[in-house]
Amino acid sequence: MSQTLQIAVVGDTTSVAGFRQLGFEAVAVERPEDARGQWARLMGGDYGAVFVTEPVYRAIEDLVAESADRPVPAVTVIPAAGSTGGLGAAKLNRAIERALGTSMPVGEGEG
Amino acid sequence: MPQMRANPNRMELLKLRRRGDVARRGHKLLKDKLDELMKEFQGRIGANRKLRAEVEAGLARAFARLAMARAEAGRSGLATALLAGEPASLLTVTEKSVMSVRVPVFDLAPLPEPGGYSLATTPAVLDAGLAYLAEVAPKLLELAEREKAIELLAAEIERTRRRVNALEYVLIPSIDATARSIQMKLDEAERGNLTRLMKVKDMIAQQEADGR
Repeated sequence: MSQTLQIAVVGDTTSVAGFRQLGFEAVAVERPEDARGQWARLMGGDYGAVFVTEPVYRAIEDLVAESADRPVPAVTVIPAAGSTGGLGAAKLNRAIERALGTSMPVGEGEG
Repeated sequence: MPQMRANPNRMELLKLRRRGDVARRGHKLLKDKLDELMKEFQGRIGANRKLRAEVEAGLARAFARLAMARAEAGRSGLATALLAGEPASLLTVTEKSVMSVRVPVFDLAPLPEPGGYSLATTPAVLDAGLAYLAEVAPKLLELAEREKAIELLAAEIERTRRRVNALEYVLIPSIDATARSIQMKLDEAERGNLTRLMKVKDMIAQQEADGR
């Protein structure tokens, strides 16, 4: 089974604007919470991958968690322009915690 | 361990033993599956960490250029320039089975050339920013694909672990306990029968001795 789907990027204007040129759908939100209203549309099946910036992920973490068990769309956290990063790794650590029942110390030297 | 309700007879005992065997076989299979899932999972985590670091660095570079462009052209100027793009269906999604977990596989179509904005009114650094962004885009999709696979594997591991534990700590002990108790009841009945027979035999022998 193969589908052709779109890619969306949700975040503040500065972070998402450039993606529009690449053919991604840029969903610009003024406040991170505004993504809540757009979320149902993004999860509707037209999008194969949805990238959310860290502030947005922090605001709608519960909604993102709901989509975790479905194959598409894949929701991925990316750093926003000017944010520190590290939240994406935290999301992954949650998956690890779910699988192992305990959080695994993140080995720095691994890779 | 709570026992099941079962009539203490031979047929139930045989049935229970058979169920116990099936449960044990299922438990072994699931446990093997869990081990294999874990192996797959841990392999993926290591590789993913590196990719994420690369993607985050690439994005930071692109964002830095774009921020510079915004500083030169002004917020509204930049926003107008970047309006030119058109969302397209770029992603072909197929599904692949990893240990019977269905994970998506992304195939990115060639990205459209950035353009459509006036080169006269936008700074050159914007082009550089977009070039960096285009460079990091395939990696971004790869990251999305891998992280999704990891998430789905994590969910499957959790489910499998629950099943393994339910079999190991609930179903199998309860079947064993029930089988044992049926066996004991049968043994008790057997002993009761034996003593009754011996007693009857004694009584008959007594009567014969008295009658003579």
